Order: sequence, then structure tokens, then C-alpha cells
Amino acid sequence: MYLSIAIWLIVASSALAFIYILRRAYARARDPKPNPNDAVHYLYPVDWALLESLLDPAADFALRWSLDSCALRAERRRRMRLYRELVRRMAHNSSVLADFDDALFADSHFTHGPDSKLRQAIIKVRFYCAGVRLKLGVWLLLPDAFGLVPTPDLASLRKAVEVDGPKAYDELRVAAVEAFARLRPNELEALTRGL
Amino acid sequence: MSSLLWLIPTGLLAVLLGLMLRSSAHRAWPWFFSYVTFGISADVARFAAHNHPHPYYFIYWLTDAGYAILGALAMYEILRKVLRGLADIWWTHLIFPALVATGVGLSLWRAQLAPPRVQGLLACVVVGEIAVRFVQILVFVGLVGFIALFGFRWRQYPLGIAAGFGLYSTVALLITTKLSDIGTRFTFLWSLISVVAYSVTVLIWIGFFSVPEKEQPPLDAKVAKHYIALLERYLNVLRRTR
Repeated sequence: MYLSIAIWLIVASSALAFIYILRRAYARARDPKPNPNDAVHYLYPVDWALLESLLDPAADFALRWSLDSCALRAERRRRMRLYRELVRRMAHNSSVLADFDDALFADSHFTHGPDSKLRQAIIKVRFYCAGVRLKLGVWLLLPDAFGLVPTPDLASLRKAVEVDGPKAYDELRVAAVEAFARLRPNELEALTRGL
Repeated sequence: MSSLLWLIPTGLLAVLLGLMLRSSAHRAWPWFFSYVTFGISADVARFAAHNHPHPYYFIYWLTDAGYAILGALAMYEILRKVLRGLADIWWTHLIFPALVATGVGLSLWRAQLAPPRVQGLLACVVVGEIAVRFVQILVFVGLVGFIALFGFRWRQYPLGIAAGFGLYSTVALLITTKLSDIGTRFTFLWSLISVVAYSVTVLIWIGFFSVPEKEQPPLDAKVAKHYIALLERYLNVLRRTR
């Protein structure tokens, strides 16, 4: 009986996967393709300086010295929310780049391999973002509990799911510049600023 | 009539082979290309031997084992391509072995409850074949989940290959389950549904491979230098403002 349930679950998930693909195909055929030149307007800038300062272990150390435990806890939670916003932007930008990369290639009647530089950079960034968002979500859910549960150190989030986030995002930017080289120079400059 | 039915998927596989050769996809997908080539050869061999029971029996089981092995290798190829960027994450290397272990486990469990009608080595082929079907469905479902989660485009070779295998394996798994419930009365319908499902599978592959896939054209070195310098300048400004 358990085997039958397992087999039917697998078969049902396969059927759902097919329905999902068909729905995506239909949506793709119906919706207008995005214009690659508009990519920059959809990007949310990621403040690199802020990102580095949030992940800086020295900054965290300094906070530990200068604040009492209650204030430190509040400050750490504030920094976590800030970092969550930056990670949300990174994830958003990577999916925008994926969409516009598709649009760019749709004109040339060629599809793009999954192992292209930009694609792999996007996978890495999204993987990192998913891991960090999950961790931050759990950490922020932890109750204050009068300081009994220690607030985790944000610097440990530089690496999540074995991916170095800032490095992966930097790679994504370089790959995006290369992939979008066919844009006009001022648009490309705006793209780099937007990332 | 049944002979003609056999030839439909073979003809479609030949079209797919031509498309793969035309777009040089055989270089990027050597295991899947081997599977397609093997599929044509196996169909031709089975067709040639179908009036000779002894050679047919031998060829049938030999090619069945070949299909299972190459089908599994094609799945490995898909995962390797999709997860290439995450190769430095140690546990991504365990995904394929874990899927194979799950498939083998489920297949052995099934064999224990509904033992195959054959013995010895042939029973191993049946168990292996069903295990590969489980793996193919799991890879397909996993890939669709990956695409949904990471917001990727659906029209790519890995998804096309996985969707084809996923469809056929789902139908085949259902049929094999039903066959063990109903018995041999189901044989004719089994082969008919199987041929239709396989033909649809090859049509899916043809649909995906009809659009050539290529790498990003290399950027002109001079232009690349200019834009990398631009990016560096921008990053320097950011660092200074820190």
C-alpha cells in the first residue's frame, strides 16, 4: 500500500510538472516579450558599501563592545532586516537579468545554453539568496526571549549554502556586462549602476 | 499494422538525430546523442529479428539493458550541465547518486511486492529499468521545481530531454503497475500506449532540438576591456564612498 502511495505521488508530481510547463509555455506565447533596453529600469540598485559593512565582522565586533546586550540585540535585528532587503534586491536583479537575457536571445532564433556564464552566475546568486533568506527568516522569527537566545552574527552570512554571496554577485555583474554588451554604452553604464 | 507502429518512433528518432547533427548538439550532449543513436540501432535490430524468436529474445533484453544504462547517463548529463555553476558545493555531487539510490530502492521494493516474471540476470534488467524510470521522473520533477524556484526560462535542452523522459517514464511506470495488477491481458494495449507515449516523447525532443542552442557569442576583447574597466571604476567609486 505504501508503495502504491509513493508511486501515485511520483506520477501526480510528474503530471503537475507537465501542467506547469504547459502553463508557462502558454503565458510565454501570450505575454509580450520584454525589451532588453528596458532592463535597467527594472533593476534595484544594491548598495555595495552597505552590504560590505553589514557583513564586516569588525563592525559586528565594534557593536558588541559599544552597546549593551539589549541594544546590541535590537541593532543586530535591524542589520538583519537591512541585509534581507539587499538580498531581496540581489535575487530580484538576477531574475530580471534572466528574463532580459531570454528576450535578448529570443531575437536571434537561438536559445541559450544552461551552462552560459550569465546563467551559471544567476543560479549561484539565486541559490545564495534562497539560502540566506531562509536563514534570515528563521533568525528574525526567533523571539527576543530576554536575550536568552543569542542573536546570530551577520558576518557568517557572507557564505551560505557553500556560496560566497558578494563574490557570486560580483561575478553576476561582470557576466551581465558581457552578456548585455550589445546595448548602447549609456544603457550599459546604467545597467552597471543599477546592479 | 504493429510493424508500422514500430517504425513511427524510429522514424522520429532519425529526424531527431538529423536535427542534433545539424545543430552540433551531439557535442554538447554526447550521452543523449548516444541514447538516440542506440535507440535507432536497437529498433532496427529488433525489427530485423522479430520473426526469429531466439535472436529476438536475446536482442530484446540486451537493448532493454542498453536503454536503461544510456537513459541513466542522459540524466547524469542533464544534472551535470544544470548544476555546473554549483560544482564547488560538495553536496551537489551527491544529488545524482541519491536519486539513483532512491530509484533502486523503490524498484527493489516494488520487485519484492510484485516479483518480475523473469529470473536471474533478466530480473536485474527489469529492476534496473524501473529504477531508471523512477530516476527520470524525479529528475524531471526536480528540474521543473528548479526552474519554478529560480525563475528560469522553460525552453532549454535539459528541460526538453527531461520532459521527454519524464513523460515516457510516467506512462511506462503506470503501465507496468497496471500490468502487474491486471496480468497479460493488458499486453496489446500496453504496447499501443507505449508506442504512442514514446512517439510523443520523441516529438517533444524534436520540438526542443529544432531551436539551436548556442553559447553567448564571445565579446570583442576591446569592448570587453572597456566595460570591465567601467565596472571597475564604478566599484572603486563605491569603495571610496564607504
